[in-house]
Amino acid sequence: MAVDTGNNTLIGKPQSRIDGPVKVSGQARYTSDYSFSGMLYAVPVGATIARGKLLSLDTKAAEAMPGVRAVFHGGNIGKLYRASFLMADLVLLDEKRPPLADNDINYFGQYIAVAVAETFEQATAAADAVEARYAAERPVMNFDLLRGTELKQSDHRGDAVKALAGSPVKVDEVYSTPVQTHNAIELHATVAVWEGGNCTLYDTVQGVGNHQLVMTQRLGIEREQMRVITRYLGSGFGGKISAWGHCCLAAAAARNLDRPVKLVLSRRQAFESAGHRPATQQRVQLGASAEVKLVSLQHDYVNTTAMVEDFTEYCAEASPFLYSTANMSSSSALARRTIGAATSMRGPGAVPGSFALESAMDELAYQLRVDPVALRHRNEPALDESMGIPFSSRHLTEALNAGAERFGWSQRTPEVGSMKRDGLTLGWGVAVAAWGAGRFASSATVDLRADGTARVSCGTQDIGTGTYTVLAQLVGERLGIAMDRVEVAIGDSNLPAGPLSGGSLVTSSLVPAISRALDEASQRLVTAASLLPDSRWSKARPEDLEVVKGRLGLKANPSGPALSFSEVLQQTGVRSLTGTGLSDGTILEKPKLSKHCFSAQFAEVTWQPEIARLRVSRVVTVIDSGRIINPKAGRNQIVGAVVMGVGMALFEGTEYDPRKGVALNSNLADYVMTTHADTPDIDVIFLDCPDFEVNELGAKGIGEIGMAGVAGAIANAAYHATGIRVRELPIRIEALLKRNQTGRELKKEPWQTHPTTKTKPQPHRANDSPDAPS
Amino acid sequence: MRAFTFKQVARQEEALLLSDAHAGASPGEVRFIAGGTTLVDLMKLNVERPSVVIDINRLPLDKIETTPDGGVRIGALVRNGDCAHHPLLQSRYPALSQALLSGASAQLRNMATTGGNLLQRTRCTYFRDTVWTCNKRVPGSGCSAIGGANRMLAILGASEHCIATNPSDMNVALTALEATVHLQGKEGERSVAIDEFFHRPGTTPHIENVLRPGELITAVSLPAPAPGSRSLYLKLRDRATYEFALASAAVVLTAASGRITHVRLALGGVGTVPWRAHEAEAALLGKGPSPEIFRRAAEAVLQHARPQSENGFKVELARRCITHALTTAVAGGGEQYGS
Amino acid sequence: MDPRTTLLDCLRETIHLTGTKKGCDHGQCGACTVHINGRRVNSCLTFAAMHQADEITTIEGLGEPGRLHPMQAAFVEHDGYQCGYYTSGQIMSAVALLKEPCGPSDMDVKEYLGGNICRCGAYPNIVAAVQAVRRHSLL
Repeated sequence: MAVDTGNNTLIGKPQSRIDGPVKVSGQARYTSDYSFSGMLYAVPVGATIARGKLLSLDTKAAEAMPGVRAVFHGGNIGKLYRASFLMADLVLLDEKRPPLADNDINYFGQYIAVAVAETFEQATAAADAVEARYAAERPVMNFDLLRGTELKQSDHRGDAVKALAGSPVKVDEVYSTPVQTHNAIELHATVAVWEGGNCTLYDTVQGVGNHQLVMTQRLGIEREQMRVITRYLGSGFGGKISAWGHCCLAAAAARNLDRPVKLVLSRRQAFESAGHRPATQQRVQLGASAEVKLVSLQHDYVNTTAMVEDFTEYCAEASPFLYSTANMSSSSALARRTIGAATSMRGPGAVPGSFALESAMDELAYQLRVDPVALRHRNEPALDESMGIPFSSRHLTEALNAGAERFGWSQRTPEVGSMKRDGLTLGWGVAVAAWGAGRFASSATVDLRADGTARVSCGTQDIGTGTYTVLAQLVGERLGIAMDRVEVAIGDSNLPAGPLSGGSLVTSSLVPAISRALDEASQRLVTAASLLPDSRWSKARPEDLEVVKGRLGLKANPSGPALSFSEVLQQTGVRSLTGTGLSDGTILEKPKLSKHCFSAQFAEVTWQPEIARLRVSRVVTVIDSGRIINPKAGRNQIVGAVVMGVGMALFEGTEYDPRKGVALNSNLADYVMTTHADTPDIDVIFLDCPDFEVNELGAKGIGEIGMAGVAGAIANAAYHATGIRVRELPIRIEALLKRNQTGRELKKEPWQTHPTTKTKPQPHRANDSPDAPS
Repeated sequence: MRAFTFKQVARQEEALLLSDAHAGASPGEVRFIAGGTTLVDLMKLNVERPSVVIDINRLPLDKIETTPDGGVRIGALVRNGDCAHHPLLQSRYPALSQALLSGASAQLRNMATTGGNLLQRTRCTYFRDTVWTCNKRVPGSGCSAIGGANRMLAILGASEHCIATNPSDMNVALTALEATVHLQGKEGERSVAIDEFFHRPGTTPHIENVLRPGELITAVSLPAPAPGSRSLYLKLRDRATYEFALASAAVVLTAASGRITHVRLALGGVGTVPWRAHEAEAALLGKGPSPEIFRRAAEAVLQHARPQSENGFKVELARRCITHALTTAVAGGGEQYGS
Repeated sequence: MDPRTTLLDCLRETIHLTGTKKGCDHGQCGACTVHINGRRVNSCLTFAAMHQADEITTIEGLGEPGRLHPMQAAFVEHDGYQCGYYTSGQIMSAVALLKEPCGPSDMDVKEYLGGNICRCGAYPNIVAAVQAVRRHSLL
């Protein structure tokens, strides 16, 4: 049943989070906040080579250290299984190889042991004392990914190659994005507690149900023996979807020692062995007619993946349907590198893909001498040309118009460096993006209670997006009760299976499940009417009764007498009644409509060539993503996505030294992320066009679409300001120093004629580790 | 982290005696701890592995006092935040205040001390990660930074044994302000000009300064500001705050009758030590300020630059940093947070 | 007490005051911010043994649900968080800022809170919360 959205008091209204007071007072319990009597601390030991064989481990010194209870390794940790990863199981797991499975080393930091001791300090010292011998091989680390890689075609229509050849205006460029690391501020952590054969994992996960399934498979126990709890998650951005190796180490250590074990990864370990967005290199070829119509679009890309794991970053996902063009193709390949397993990171595919495609569109606009917004308008498709089906809801044209209006785009002069304010050069750029909409299969229960409160239970989790509050809104709205009368139980795999927090799908998945649970509860309330003492109710035929806003009344007389659900339950002596709702997922269905959300991003940068300083000063972001259930949290989430997009554009990238394959900036000082002071003015516009094909409220997700397009808009703005087209993220000072302060190419530096400091390779003496590379 | 013995001292003599008791120990075995922002960080990385840590936070070295010659004496335990916000220092030595405020975060500035900041260790990745060879960490083991990721590293003062940058902002300002470092050892007190306090790496990159084993920094003093001088600090980096410099400049300058009559220039982010730009000063002194003179001054110091594979851009960045800092100083400007 | 135990780990693992969080363990994120004798510091970069006589204030000491500190209430009102993990640090910094010589503008607040990373990017709402409290305390 569709909610009458005209009379909402909770849905669509800005709501403070119901979990706010516990979050601001330090009382919200995150995984590593749990402690248990007799608990031990575990610290993993990572390999110090990126490729080769582990020859031997010496754990004697570590085991003899104070407080050390065990050092586990492949030889003594016990069986850890490969998890199944068939789509039918809907298991998401990006590192399938269990930790300590064999002596092959495929990336730097791959776990080779885990030290367990009475205190964190003792366990850390013991982990440091584990000695390993390796047969090291040269890491595979180059990031020139397209070179020599054979690509496989995934999409095509028409003849893009031929059409490009015949196009009067062409763009053919390569765009690169680096490895990026999620860096949720909450460190990955597992607290494992065994009682008998039953295991409870307090864990930092974006899907308690997925984690339960994976971990039972890993440990070889049954589902009812495994409980996963994530009451609060310090965000994840995709990095906490997979059950990473450390979860197994903690669970196995606790099992082996029969004591609770807490394992908190260091920031460095998270860089090495808990996922990242892979590096991409993308070639975009566009052909256009003099009439500003795209006649050919090719988007070919390669992304890095681990030596023994496959992960595709679907950079060209939106390319087949974002623009109208008769000729289109895309192809892709994986490039195996000696780095840990890649995984989803906020807007996987769409975010790097939009950077490449939208940069190319900007280059095309300059070649065509046409306004970049006008270019996109000119090529707006009437339907999804990749599948030949209509869009369920697409308002990209309105998004571009609304953004241009708010931004003041009509004042833009296209010449490079032509706009100034307060002595600063301005650059204005635009980009658009798309992200899939849909649902995960979900279930939920709602209990109506005699005291007038309700309880909603669902095995989903709040990763910071406001799921606690959305559930209270959905239930409070239908029952006509305040949100503080709704108890929300989530973050526990014992609850009815709920959606994974990924793909921006939680809210759209929950809406129908909650709605059906409330339908069932309402029906049961109608049934309970027969037990009421007042014959007006007990004698009424069920089909004549209805429940509106939590009140039982007569269909024929909507403004007549009614009983609240608490009155019904009190008068019938029932403490509570339960409704359960199930809704199906859309992931595996063959679509009849193309369901997506869209964004239009407008960015302003300021440029001071005299000190080579580029800053993002202003972003207007327009989101076409259906109805927003809680605009307060929703707006915040979009702002946060822009903040991360600023980081992607200007700062972020995990750097590796190819000699050892080690991440060099695996900490929060050297992996540069956006601070308060880097945050531009951010103006968020929600178009608020409900998409009822996705669910009855028309709600879609926003977490990923908010970030997609931001880096492209900033890169385009940077070009407008500086005249330098940076096709390799992040846009760093060195790229912007290629021209002098008046915009001319710099002449050769005096130092370039000097011999540089001797750079002959230094001998790598095996002073502190036996793993000197060959 | 290696296990260590923790001692607290309340008096200077106690600190010196304690460290002297371990005089025979190898370098790094005994460490004084003040703010801890460098030492604890590096102990967690196993780069610092002392067996004895002496807490000197209770020593009475936390005063800022004027000196008879019109200068100021800053106790070694004065916290960077207090120093930055001290009204006297803000008004008379703005470059120092700006440099301090441009560094780290408010929390770290509340911890970090004047003496500790002088001893801040490099941020070179290869120094901070024990999987790599590093001549600074393990003398003679080799420099992994040369031929490695050296974007952040030095273009001035490097040797074939070490190209690590001194990361401090404060030290750059102190260099331009011609500070003196006061030391106390068991043989007594001595004072060292800041320009002579730091050692360039040469063949011994592990020896970073003139401190003798067991010696304590007790204070830093600044001479009276040159009459009519202005000072400022300009810091360039990737993000807007909470990051180390790619290039920075501290300028102390007096202009009278259209001529530069006094100038001190020091650079950060580009040198293995806080870099006093004597040649630039010589190029400026007595000249009328102009873009051309500023450019020449920048060339005078940057002609010695020897960039590595990834940090050639620092030459141009330092050039712009120097000319902009000089231009701003002449115009009487300056940025609030030095960046 | 093991001398190696940082103030942060002492608070969390020994005293079980877990409101103070570990995000980087190297003074690079600000999640561990507490007040020592009224001044904000990174509790991950100091040993517990150094603070036996000091007054230490953590997020738990500011207020609790039902009687929140005005800054805590402002964070709720302005949605100054998402995941909430870094929030204790942001609030401890924000409360300390009220007594620091921070200029009046949003840019001043952004600079003074620069040492508190929020990966969720709730920065504008955090600044709004801090400015609301500052305006109110001026009245």
